[in-house]
Amino acid sequence: MPDPFDLAAGWLQGHLLVPLLYRLDMMDWEDISYGWAVFAMYGAFQVVLTFAVCLPLERWRPVERWPDRKAVLVDVLYTVLSRVGVLPVFTFVLFYQAQVSLNGWLADQGIIPPTLESLFPFLLGRQVLTFCIYAIILDFADYWRHRVSHMLRWWWALHSLHHAQRQMTFWSDDRNHILDDIIAFVWFGAIALLIGVPPLQFPLLVLVLRFVESLSHANVRLSFGALGDRLLISPRFHRAHHGVLAAGQRSCNYGAVLPWWDMLFRTADFSREYVRTGDPSGEEALHTGSYFQQQWAGLRRFGRAVRPRGARRAVS
Amino acid sequence: MRVRRAILPWLLLFPLAGFVARPAAASGLAFVMNSDSASISVIDMTTLKELRRIPVLRQPHHVVLSPDGKSILVGDTVGNQLLFIDPHTGVVQKRLPCADPYQLGFSPNGRFLVVNGLARNQVDVYDAATMQLIKRFPAKTMPSHLAYAPDSGRVFVSLQGTDRLMAIDLHDMKVLWSKHVGSTPAGVLWHDGKLLVADMGTDYLAEVDPADGRVLRHIVTGKGAHNLFMGPGGKTIWVDNRVAGTTEVLDAATLQPLRVYHIPGGPDDLAFASDGKVWITRRWAEKVAVLDPATGDYATIDVGRSPHGIWLNQPAPVTLKIALGLAR
Repeated sequence: MPDPFDLAAGWLQGHLLVPLLYRLDMMDWEDISYGWAVFAMYGAFQVVLTFAVCLPLERWRPVERWPDRKAVLVDVLYTVLSRVGVLPVFTFVLFYQAQVSLNGWLADQGIIPPTLESLFPFLLGRQVLTFCIYAIILDFADYWRHRVSHMLRWWWALHSLHHAQRQMTFWSDDRNHILDDIIAFVWFGAIALLIGVPPLQFPLLVLVLRFVESLSHANVRLSFGALGDRLLISPRFHRAHHGVLAAGQRSCNYGAVLPWWDMLFRTADFSREYVRTGDPSGEEALHTGSYFQQQWAGLRRFGRAVRPRGARRAVS
Repeated sequence: MRVRRAILPWLLLFPLAGFVARPAAASGLAFVMNSDSASISVIDMTTLKELRRIPVLRQPHHVVLSPDGKSILVGDTVGNQLLFIDPHTGVVQKRLPCADPYQLGFSPNGRFLVVNGLARNQVDVYDAATMQLIKRFPAKTMPSHLAYAPDSGRVFVSLQGTDRLMAIDLHDMKVLWSKHVGSTPAGVLWHDGKLLVADMGTDYLAEVDPADGRVLRHIVTGKGAHNLFMGPGGKTIWVDNRVAGTTEVLDAATLQPLRVYHIPGGPDDLAFASDGKVWITRRWAEKVAVLDPATGDYATIDVGRSPHGIWLNQPAPVTLKIALGLAR
């Protein structure tokens, strides 16, 4: 039985994208457009699934109630752009091209780049197990990317946009500065090239992981219990990371899907209850500005952070 | 021995090698390259059931029979591997490193294996006996399909990204010409001393002079003309039109349309079975269509994501003349 998302992507490809490409004389993009269509379908379903599950949860047991939710709207835009929009195309094209070039060059030298499946042949054909191992490795890499983004002043200047949201909801997961996204892309791209992650092979499992990440940002009083919170990151656990007292270098709970790395490297804090979120050190535009105002404010903060120390003092 | 030498070249034809060299004990298997599922579907041609999937490292696209008929070669582009698979059992025999093997084909004389690297913009010519790289030709951009001249002296490669067709001299190992032939050229077929090129950005085939790459005329088929194949018997040419979602049959002698079949879902590669059916991969439908040309009805078989190349080990019998497009 064909995957319904793939069939939807096929319909999109056959009825909309390919006729459009044909009209624009861009048929050499046809393969790429199908890759995007698959990503977009899964991305759209991610958004719908997250909405369908998280919204009732947020209504049922909200941590906070706000008189208006205008500040949340911009996070919806971030989510759609990130999961359905041009970002997946950009990621797909660049990653694919880099992977082909690097691995092809290695193949010229008679080397087949190592992949999990070539290192452990029993994994060939066991796609779920293979994906789980890939996911654990990538989650580990993401823990360190995230932790370093809090440690370096210039990187925190960019990443603080993600933390600026005082009305944190399940939409907030993709609220990132574009430069922060690009750094994350390069980081993941490098790791993925090293271990040979095949992105299109596991869209359903990627969907599940992204769902966990969205849920962890939800405005809901939800914990998975003493044991569950140590197996999978819950909204309660991740909220501590977004707490006003945890902004910047003082943060904890850096993990995205698995709390294991926080436990291993002693950055886990299971004690904090449902704290207020936000970054008091950031300017107001980062909190409540429009998409472009937030991006611009993040860039300004980044500019201040990379300016030499003397110049910084003179300005202040 | 002399007989074998005489027969060998006839067994090495690309892209229709599969129709020429029939395994003695054909077990009726179809092999479908699921390019975005990292697998190859093995299908029982009698029951039309998928028996199993052969796992592949990353992205299998095209397939060709080896000169000795003992292996089918599958190019795994992102995995940078050539897989050798037993055509009777589907058992993977070996894997060789190979940079970005997209489209691949043996020359009619069996001496060369040409491998197009679509993502890396290169055409590699290998010694088919030793699998040693003889020469790499930069090919901007997106070298996709290929066809040989019947004497194996030249290979013609379509360059999708720059709308060109490139001719390579396999004796002197040099590029003879590279000419504009339309928009997004894909499938190439040697036919009656000319080349037919499917221009995917248009609704026609370009007839091209193999001597200098001049476009002689256009043969209108359908929107998104993508790939073309000589039919069994040599009297027809089959064209898949990607945008129109049709498979069109042309009279090989006149190049006039005979019949159009509606095959939605991005028809791509096709193969002719010994029972007269035509197997067609449908890229965006995750299916293979098994078309009865007499009635126009087709059965469908579910396969993996983005099925691309297809190979049957019980193909329709085809002579070399037919496969080369020389029959009239």
